[in-house]
Amino acid sequence: MSAFFEVSDLGMHIGDTSILRNINIQFREGELTALLGHNGSGKSTLLKVLARQMSPTRGDVSLFGSSFRTTGAREFARKVGYLPQHPPGTDGLTVRELVALGRYPWRGPLGRYNDEDRRLIDQAIVDTGLAQFGHRSVDTLSGGERQRAWIAMLLAQQTRCLLLDEPISALDVKHQVETLRLVHRLAEERELTVVVVLHDVDLAARFCNRLVALKSGQLIADGSTREIMDSGILESIYGVPMGVMERAPGQWVSYVH
Amino acid sequence: MYADAASLPRSRPAIPVKLPVAAVILWFGALIASSVPWFGELDLGALISAFWTFDPEDYSSVLAHYSWAPRVSIAILIGCGLGLAGAVTQQILGNPLASPTTLGVEAGGQFGITVATLFAPGLLAFSPDLAAIGGGLLAIGMVIALTWRVGFSPVTVILAGLVITFFLGAMNMAFLLLKGEWLGNLFIWGAGSLVQNNWGPFTELWPRVAVLAILMLLLMRPLQLLQLGQTSASALGARVGLIRALALFLVVLMTATVVSRVGVVAFVGLAAPVLARLLGARTLGSRLLWSTLMGGGLLLLADTLARWASTWGDGSLVPTGTATALIGGPVILLALQSFRNTHHMPGQETSPAGFLPKRRSPLVVSGIVAALLLATVVVSMGWAPGLESWHWTAITQWNEAWVWRGPRLLAAILAGVALGLAGTLIQRMTGNPMGSPEMLGISGGAALVMVLIVLSGAEVGRLGQLGGATLGAAGALGLLILLARKHRFAGNQLLLGGLALYVFMDAGLRLVMASGGTVASQLLNWMYGSTWLVSEVEAFGLLGFTVLVSGLLLLVVRPLTILPLGDTAASSLGLSVSRVRLLLLLLAAVLTASATVVIGPLSFVGLIAPHLARVLGQQTVGHQMIVAALVGGLLLAVADYLSRIVVFPNQLPAGLLAALVGGVYFLWGLSRHGR
Repeated sequence: MSAFFEVSDLGMHIGDTSILRNINIQFREGELTALLGHNGSGKSTLLKVLARQMSPTRGDVSLFGSSFRTTGAREFARKVGYLPQHPPGTDGLTVRELVALGRYPWRGPLGRYNDEDRRLIDQAIVDTGLAQFGHRSVDTLSGGERQRAWIAMLLAQQTRCLLLDEPISALDVKHQVETLRLVHRLAEERELTVVVVLHDVDLAARFCNRLVALKSGQLIADGSTREIMDSGILESIYGVPMGVMERAPGQWVSYVH
Repeated sequence: MYADAASLPRSRPAIPVKLPVAAVILWFGALIASSVPWFGELDLGALISAFWTFDPEDYSSVLAHYSWAPRVSIAILIGCGLGLAGAVTQQILGNPLASPTTLGVEAGGQFGITVATLFAPGLLAFSPDLAAIGGGLLAIGMVIALTWRVGFSPVTVILAGLVITFFLGAMNMAFLLLKGEWLGNLFIWGAGSLVQNNWGPFTELWPRVAVLAILMLLLMRPLQLLQLGQTSASALGARVGLIRALALFLVVLMTATVVSRVGVVAFVGLAAPVLARLLGARTLGSRLLWSTLMGGGLLLLADTLARWASTWGDGSLVPTGTATALIGGPVILLALQSFRNTHHMPGQETSPAGFLPKRRSPLVVSGIVAALLLATVVVSMGWAPGLESWHWTAITQWNEAWVWRGPRLLAAILAGVALGLAGTLIQRMTGNPMGSPEMLGISGGAALVMVLIVLSGAEVGRLGQLGGATLGAAGALGLLILLARKHRFAGNQLLLGGLALYVFMDAGLRLVMASGGTVASQLLNWMYGSTWLVSEVEAFGLLGFTVLVSGLLLLVVRPLTILPLGDTAASSLGLSVSRVRLLLLLLAAVLTASATVVIGPLSFVGLIAPHLARVLGQQTVGHQMIVAALVGGLLLAVADYLSRIVVFPNQLPAGLLAALVGGVYFLWGLSRHGR
């Protein structure tokens, strides 16, 4: 597997506050990675840097070996899709219209949508289980459905990578699991590289195959789920005494002492 | 897996029927109303053919061909252009309040023409477009420069645009007061007159409007992405900044082209998209289309009304711009009733502002401001230009100078104090940093009553004026509350309402200006806050009044701290929300009215003083109020002093100076702190 993103010596300051310090990490193609850490640890910022929403104060990020600084905006958007933590209100757009906007990186301001585009849009809507909602206004959907509509837009974008910033933080347990299961399934079917910021370490362990943890802007843990789901490491990430049980092979449950 | 999908509409949502119906009714109504006066003279066929031919034997036919038909055509053309420009602007900024008018583009165009008239008349003869485009670009450039750092957040952009509109309006007014003899006609023109006497302007205008419209339509898809907010739009590969800049540039070109031909036709660009959206135009394409159509119909209707008013009135000219403003007001109020959720605007980021509130010792800050105030009073009383040179008046002679300098200074300070207090009250109460007597149209309400008093020709004393102004301010506030109650004072609803009130006042004012005469100059002087009209008795009366009201304010400090937490939290803390709110409203209205009588409705003090108090590190209600009052007093004291000396031996109205100075400060503060 080749490196999708390569982050080298990354630093981020806002004013005097240092948000990220000396981050070196690679994200390999086809991996589903969860970014963990408590509030303010810098995980959302790291994701925004990967999505090119913020430019780092120092260091560099490269995509398939070519530096971020030299990639064009639409070219980048054809490879990387980003879902912000709070997607804005969409002001009356229907689901289908929202998903269709995902074709922008490929068609640009004036290019016509062809049958291929329409097929991809339909496919994205079907894949996210929104077929019945195609002509409903996004604003009238429930939280989970709205989240799926946005993910459908990213799918229509046909990127090889999804960056999701806390996609399940506003959802109930059922919709949390459904959304993550959807992401997991799509990542396998489409061989996507996914980096997702999560709060719930158990859900992260359940659906991701690599866990990366940040604390005070520094990388403190990085490894496979089996390596990270260890009481000592979790304790160092969250700063509270924790324990871990392996309930079944590949399924861990963490708890607070 | 996804079991919660109920039975849902399977087909694509269609455009609601009411939209085309409303458009057809609007157009037919406007066209028929416009052609009614001609029915007696020409038959329908001849009237329609007046658009391309005429019968040289028939005077009516010639008149219809050279006067009526081009006027109708140009009204429709300009209306369509402005409607489209407005819809594009709203899409660019993701903001139902945005329009060429509210972004200051129209005021900028007018300012450009004023400046060109005075200083470079040759440029106007060469091309009036250039001056207007220059002014429009200046205005939008200021807006962009100010909001650059805060990433064009929609609310800030509108705030900057409104302030720049007021600011450039004040500049225009300053020129008018100083060089009135040159600019008299400019005012009729500035109010948007569509009178035509040949087809020249139309044939010159339509290709430009058409080209600009096509360019705007080419930007449609990138514009659509902006609906997803800056983050998602750029994640989709759109260069958000570039798209916004390009589209805004087109809007400026369109607006300036119109303004340079016919003057400010305010609020068509706002009313048309609002109307289209209210009637159910949902997608960007349909919004653009229907806004264009609505704009054309609206302006034709407004123009027809203006022409009727001119004929039926005593022959005084009613410019079309006035009529659009009169239509614009109700449309905004209508919007206020129907927008459910504008405080969560599309594209608005929900992340907290990158602004850390500082705190500073209230004693030190208020001490410094009070010292500055004292110094200003001393300088203002003592140091003044004489016939030959500047000289000091010794403190022993102050009792002689008092009659000339004292009352106006005292009144100015008190008005500043009152505005500072009222501004703090309103900002706290609405939880909206843009809330202020000026922005919410409360001063406008007070001014409207004053305008009516002046127009009716009734002689009322200061007390009568104060009573009338209080009534107007309370009425405006009450109306706002009534309209905004169901939105729980969400910021933009209040702003919209205030904007509508301001539009009404502005329309009345323009009407008076266009009719000219002594009434106009009297009103102009008062409107821009001529402190020299204040007598000693009035100043002391105001002093007593302000002290009394300030005492009452002590009662509301704590409720005012609790109220922004929301109705639920406030009432569960044992606060009787509705009663407190009523008290606060009354206090704010009374304070605003007393200040408006002295300083006019247009100074920015009520907006600046509370803001400045926050910047100076006063975050709690009580401290903010004290410092805001002092700052307000200081601002107007300085303005009053400057108004006496800047063009000595002539005088400028202090309110105008306050608006100019305050506008500059506020814009600077905005760019630094970007609230």
